[in-house]
Amino acid sequence: MAGKVIVCRCEDVTLDDLAHATSLGYAHIEEVKRYTGLGTGPCQGKECMVACALFLARTTGQPPSEGEPFTSRPPIAPVALGTLARDGGEGALPTGRGRGR
Amino acid sequence: MSAPRRPDCAVELDGEAVPAVAGEPVAVSLFAAGVRVLSHSAKYHRPRSFFCLSGHCGACLMRVDGEPNVRACRAPAREGLKVERQNAFPSGKLDLLAATDWLFPRGMDHHTMFTHPRPVNALMQKVVHQLGGLGRLPDRSDPPLGEVHGERVSVDVAIVGGGPAGLSAALACAGEGRRIALFDEGDRAGGSLLCHPAHGPDAGRALADRAAEAGVAIHEGASAFAWYPEDEGGLLAVDDRGTLTRVFARRFVYATGGFDVNALFADNDRPGIFAARAVGALLVRHRVLAGQRPLVLGDSPYAAALADALGAAGCEVTRVDGVSERAVAARGHAWVSALEIEGPAGLRRVKCDAVAVATTPAPASDLPRQHGVRVALSEAAGGFACVVDERGATSVPGVFACGDVCGYRGVDGARAHGEAVGRAVAASLDEER
Ligand code: FES
Repeated sequence: MAGKVIVCRCEDVTLDDLAHATSLGYAHIEEVKRYTGLGTGPCQGKECMVACALFLARTTGQPPSEGEPFTSRPPIAPVALGTLARDGGEGALPTGRGRGR
Repeated sequence: MSAPRRPDCAVELDGEAVPAVAGEPVAVSLFAAGVRVLSHSAKYHRPRSFFCLSGHCGACLMRVDGEPNVRACRAPAREGLKVERQNAFPSGKLDLLAATDWLFPRGMDHHTMFTHPRPVNALMQKVVHQLGGLGRLPDRSDPPLGEVHGERVSVDVAIVGGGPAGLSAALACAGEGRRIALFDEGDRAGGSLLCHPAHGPDAGRALADRAAEAGVAIHEGASAFAWYPEDEGGLLAVDDRGTLTRVFARRFVYATGGFDVNALFADNDRPGIFAARAVGALLVRHRVLAGQRPLVLGDSPYAAALADALGAAGCEVTRVDGVSERAVAARGHAWVSALEIEGPAGLRRVKCDAVAVATTPAPASDLPRQHGVRVALSEAAGGFACVVDERGATSVPGVFACGDVCGYRGVDGARAHGEAVGRAVAASLDEER
């Protein structure tokens, strides 16, 4: 039996899972992310986002240049809550939602 | 080349002593001592080792010093350091939950699984709650906050990333009283220089020293993790070894490089299948061979340089270019034992004890994207690359980018690009005067 082709290592999302999602009509990377969980693990899509975007370009026949990333939100690397909490001397914590894109 | 590796202390893995070199990443210590499986994946409990060795892939999460989900590739080894496998039942050595992988060979669709009938659904919810999540809470809580402290850094130029591009940009921009701060997430600056056989840690150190002598404030172990546009007119948040540093600058330069990505083939996540740059870092920086019979997959100049260096170190190296021949499947379970290769002559099996995957790194554009920088996807660039003009200026005024984050260039290309962009940043500041 063929083994799993892992696209998203953190969440164990396979190439079959992506094909299943697109067969159900999900074609935008944000939809596929929400449906499969791709890119929602500890690495936040650093390894899998591009593979997913290129897969969607191939599947939908769109040129890759039309492909979009999913929204990048803080923090892009793990940060201890204590690090944020100890910043209290500077007034409010950074609370922004980030602009994303 | 630096001296051979000599263990000088011992860490404790699930209660057993493992020799280590103080200061090296504990993931490297464990691997060098023959420990193969570091973690199990969240859903199917597939065995995992490290992949990127640079803090980006999430494959090496372990419980370190009583703290869950620590990246073992970034945790320095020291005498008596406690390291534990997590996310396994009953133990890291014997993970019965790995049965999930066998029970669902075609994958599981959690949208429809066990949703009916109701009692089964209720039971499954209980089970899933027990199994879900990664790791257990820390052994101890942080000490009371006590004195709160955050840092502020206000400079003319803030550079994120201390690889060949960022360091060269800093050097080219330095002088005439310009205040420049550079933040690198690695324990020491150098980026991709540190894993390149033709460069290595000494080259990285030399470049960083020159930049420091030119007056650049270099922050190592400082991870820029967010751009907050709403706070104080926009600030870059940096975790500088546990201290939150708010960075304000007239110019920002993103030299964040690229993330290592795997190739797509069956069982491509087997332990022993590493990013080529991880294999390079093991060899060049940590003096550890990834295997006796490594297979290098890819046709880039870096793949060639790595294969040569491994050969010179005494390994029996196989090269597969990934173009005329490509990998279709890995063999081996807890460690890779062979790769199935498909080429014009059909299918063949190549035995190996490690694989170095040299795909094009994906531009690390997540932080510039938060800053509003326009990116474009292309396969040749390796992913979503920052769009820049000939001066390195992005779509956001005052924000520049250079090196692999603008599309993969490799060490020499990144260095040249960084230099050019560094000069352009200096010129743009001069114009303002
Ligand atoms: S995050 Fe540690 S090996 Fe990739």
